[in-house]
Amino acid sequence: MLTIRRLIHPTRHVAAHCDLPCGVYDPVQARIEAESCLRIIEKHDASEDALFRARCIHLKEERAELVKHHLDVLWHDYFKPEHLEAHPDLHDAFWQATKQASKVKQTLDVQAAKDLLAAIDRIDAMWKSTGGPEKTRVH
Amino acid sequence: MRPGPALAVAGAVTAVAILVAWRALRDLDAVVVSGRSMRPTLEPGDRLLVEAWTYRRRSPQVGEIVLATDPRVPQRELIKRVAALDDGALTIRGDGTASTDSRAFGPVAASTVRWRAVLRYWPPHRFGPIT
Repeated sequence: MLTIRRLIHPTRHVAAHCDLPCGVYDPVQARIEAESCLRIIEKHDASEDALFRARCIHLKEERAELVKHHLDVLWHDYFKPEHLEAHPDLHDAFWQATKQASKVKQTLDVQAAKDLLAAIDRIDAMWKSTGGPEKTRVH
Repeated sequence: MRPGPALAVAGAVTAVAILVAWRALRDLDAVVVSGRSMRPTLEPGDRLLVEAWTYRRRSPQVGEIVLATDPRVPQRELIKRVAALDDGALTIRGDGTASTDSRAFGPVAASTVRWRAVLRYWPPHRFGPIT
């Protein structure tokens, strides 16, 4: 029931709710982990130390998993149907990039790590063209 | 016309008018927005008029901004936009970049949605209908 009192001082709160209100997204988060993968593979290949090489493999797999996580967050939370209209290959780009991250996780292939960077850059271009830097980063 | 019947008619008209006004006011309410998931359409602190007579007659339509109970937290009333209506199931979405909505908790039953946002009356410089 609308009263003057309620009009002046509404007590009914309606929530434009978001579990995660930060709204900060940037493919660079995934790219940095992917760059780590590339460098780790190079260090692995340059080393003769079995223990160091084992650590490289372990850390590289961890970083590759983080790439997939950051890409998933971008995909689920940042990109919207209207972005898909502008970029019909959006889902394919994410599918390719996350598959490539799996490949980097499984192998010690330098080229695979470079291809992952390229796949992330493809997503980065979509993020930029949809106004990502202005909308989601703090300036 | 003699004064007697005229008075009776005036009295009846007044009574009906009061009843209509009371019913209209009962289905009208003022709410305040919290959260940022409806930006840029709605900002936190916006005060809106909401009405409950439209959805007595028909189902919510795509594009309308509605109040819905959060299926996960029933004491929380959400404000979101209708993105799709499929056989009584409403998909609701926030306008903003980050929003927890049907993508997280699935569709809500159209029959449980009673209120529609129609007008922002505060702040004054953004007064106007909600679209």
